[in-house]
Amino acid sequence: MKKLKNLVKSKNNAWLTYAVVVIAYVIMASLRASGNLSSKMSGMLVPICAYVAMALALNLTVGIIGELSLGHAGFMSIGAFAGTSLIVIMQYNGVASPTVRLVVGMIFAAVVTAVCGFLIGIPVLRLRGDYLAIVTLAFAEIIKSLFANMYLGIDETGLHFSIVEKKFELTETGRIIIEGAMGIRSITKISTFLAGFILVMICLIVIFNLMQSRTGRAIMAIRDNRIAAESIGIPVFKYKITAFTISAAMAGAAGCLFGNNYSSLVASKFNIDTSILILVFVVLGGQGNMLGSIIAATALTVLPEALRSFADYRMLVYAIVLIVVMLTTNNPQLKALVSNFKEKFSKKKEGESAGGLANE
Amino acid sequence: MSFLNYLVSGLSLGSIYAIIALGYTMVYGIAKMLNFAHGDVIMVGGYICFFAVQRFGFPPIVGVIVAMALCTCLGIIIERLAYKPLRSAPSLAVLITAIGVSYFLQNSAQLLWTSNPKVFASVVGDGTIQMGDLVVSHVTIVTIIVCIVIMLVLTAFVSKTKMGKAMRAVSEDKGAAQLMGIDVNTTISVTFAIGSGLAAIAGVLLCSAYPTLMPTTGSMPGIKAFTAAVFGGIGSIPGAFLGGLLLGIIENLAKAYISTQLSDAIVFGVLIVVLLVKPAGLLGKAVREKV
Amino acid sequence: MSSNYVLECENLGIVFGGLAAVDQFNIQVAPKEVAGLIGPNGAGKTTVFNLLTKVYEPTSGTIKLNGKDTKGETTVSLSKAGIARTFQNIRLFGNLSVADNVIAAMNQSMKYSLFESTFRLPRFWKEEKAAREKALELLSIFDMQDMADVKSSSLPYGAQRRLEITRALATNPSLLLLDEPAAGMNPAETAELMENIGKIRDTFGIAILLIEHDMSLVMGVCDQITVLNFGQVIAHGTPAEIQSNPVVIEAYLGKKKEE
Repeated sequence: MKKLKNLVKSKNNAWLTYAVVVIAYVIMASLRASGNLSSKMSGMLVPICAYVAMALALNLTVGIIGELSLGHAGFMSIGAFAGTSLIVIMQYNGVASPTVRLVVGMIFAAVVTAVCGFLIGIPVLRLRGDYLAIVTLAFAEIIKSLFANMYLGIDETGLHFSIVEKKFELTETGRIIIEGAMGIRSITKISTFLAGFILVMICLIVIFNLMQSRTGRAIMAIRDNRIAAESIGIPVFKYKITAFTISAAMAGAAGCLFGNNYSSLVASKFNIDTSILILVFVVLGGQGNMLGSIIAATALTVLPEALRSFADYRMLVYAIVLIVVMLTTNNPQLKALVSNFKEKFSKKKEGESAGGLANE
Repeated sequence: MSFLNYLVSGLSLGSIYAIIALGYTMVYGIAKMLNFAHGDVIMVGGYICFFAVQRFGFPPIVGVIVAMALCTCLGIIIERLAYKPLRSAPSLAVLITAIGVSYFLQNSAQLLWTSNPKVFASVVGDGTIQMGDLVVSHVTIVTIIVCIVIMLVLTAFVSKTKMGKAMRAVSEDKGAAQLMGIDVNTTISVTFAIGSGLAAIAGVLLCSAYPTLMPTTGSMPGIKAFTAAVFGGIGSIPGAFLGGLLLGIIENLAKAYISTQLSDAIVFGVLIVVLLVKPAGLLGKAVREKV
Repeated sequence: MSSNYVLECENLGIVFGGLAAVDQFNIQVAPKEVAGLIGPNGAGKTTVFNLLTKVYEPTSGTIKLNGKDTKGETTVSLSKAGIARTFQNIRLFGNLSVADNVIAAMNQSMKYSLFESTFRLPRFWKEEKAAREKALELLSIFDMQDMADVKSSSLPYGAQRRLEITRALATNPSLLLLDEPAAGMNPAETAELMENIGKIRDTFGIAILLIEHDMSLVMGVCDQITVLNFGQVIAHGTPAEIQSNPVVIEAYLGKKKEE
């Protein structure tokens, strides 16, 4: 009985998290299939999955490795553009099945973003704290600038590419893919809730199995005490970059899913505001707490929509909610108040159960 | 336009960044937090001056003073309400709260003043001076001069006055400073007050040089100035100046000689390269961890 | 000529901004030997440890571990080569459990890949199980096996010190550096620690170099003692020799006032 209690109490209980996600998916999918879901809510299902996956990815960097990244939207951007470009190319080349296009696109997005994550991680992870944060922000801005000034097109002669100006002409049957600041347009919306659900589950499994492995142990040791970790032979950089690369790959896949949910995709969407949005999910849900990230990402994506009735005031309310939640969860006096209350409540419960056991 | 022209206007832009960066770096050094809302205080300063001058008809200098006064109060209020309760909280929590404050300011501005751009009339008029081949606007010159004056005054303040010494003590060791009888709360409030007052000046100068004013006006300059502060070595006042000025010059030269669209990317690229070579920033001190 | 010493330092030194924190440091420690490093506060003892583990790079002299020069090695590579240490200010992985602190030290000897752990393949389970068993075995030296799943930051101070030593042993070292292991311990705990140091030496056959201020521990367990003051060796010998050495007494207690 005690073991089960500990299991449930454990913050990062993997199985509880899997259960919550699976149940949520089943409920939402059946609601939608039976026509009981508003079109507004239906339209939010894929973005929620994408944001949840992004939050999980960022939590791996912020909560597990323990480094602040202010530029994770950059990884989302790489995944979105790389994945969507490939999907458009596949469509142009006659790949009919949307499922195949989406799956291949998302895998490609993950791989490309992983490589970029690795390359970016090499300089970034050499820095500490706020300097690391600023460099991630810098990279995200660079990525945004590059995609907003990139031109990619395809026709019978193959792929054409240029930067800053469109330096090529396409034939009549050709299709422009990335058009500078206008991004990618006329996207066929092939992202599905099922794909989003699978992505979230994959992210969860990878993260939980990583945390409960020697890699996770090493990373948490590094985060707790880097110098001690080095003294027992743990190669700090190797583990940091491994987790960072995985985090980037997940963000990339999420970006691709996100990108194929709308008919157009622009680089300016993946700016610092988006990075911060995801960061808020992670901090509100609790660093290192995956279930928390899922709940926060879902709630905060739905909240602005739910607050639509407030119309112009909703972002203001959002800001106030943010400030109030941070104050009540971090201010010592307020925290003590809450924990006293909790103690009283649990003591009562323990008293009852102890009495119960004694009677067995 | 000549190289010198670009240099001078880059210096002017950099001066604005420097003034903003000062606010970031002082608050970081003394209160050990990243005040994400700082960029938005700039915007508020711009709006206050705009209304004082263009709606209520006050002379520009009064507009600037009113903006400074009100922003200073705003800074202190924000500190007391949102940051002080989180003095012992993890830095990420404070950062998120600061982000909340930033959104609050931006959205309040949007509600109060709409997102229609306001045309800001320069506080020093539209005149220009001819210096040889150079045509320099009054705004540019005033901006640079104001920046230099602020630098001198602030450096003197921090090194010569009692409050300045208190600020330095708190930035070194908050606990020890408190034990030595320094009122840490007042010191931190003064820091925010100074930073916010400077933000108001920066807002006025920014809008004088780039006359459109919107609720999001402070956002990008805020990010760039924050970058400049880190670039120069976060926590270092001379670092904020150097970082700000260099950033402005690099940005302008990149716009002029390489590409306008890619200028941001280039600026951030330079930052990354510098931090790789000097991980603690140009004038930052690498703090050695005691083993 | 390759030596039989686990640790051999010759004229080891480091200069910080003009000041020689350690100068002309010589020592030789054989397997199964317990060597003591003592001296007043600020003498440079922890600096010697930091030099041995390459937290600082020496500016002069050589360090030989099992006969091999450690030039070019890093803290991480030296762990593999056989040096383990504890710290003056305890450095545990506070959020990890007691057992996980020890298992973390076995990380580099575990071989399963990320792929195998993601898909929970057999080798993952096998190696994790073996690691946990070894950890419990090591924890039993200090009778801590029952605390295996307790969060290490919630341990009392003495237990934290013992855990740090256990963690160091988990890396299978040939040289164990203990930095003030008895700090904050009462006489009973210190006596127990003395016994355990002897036990560790005999069970694992390793060389131990320890920094300590507690003289009863030092004199009771050390085979040889080196005394540092202002970064330089001022005396070396057996406990008996050191105890009666006037230079040492002066360094600790000051010069006797001429009557």
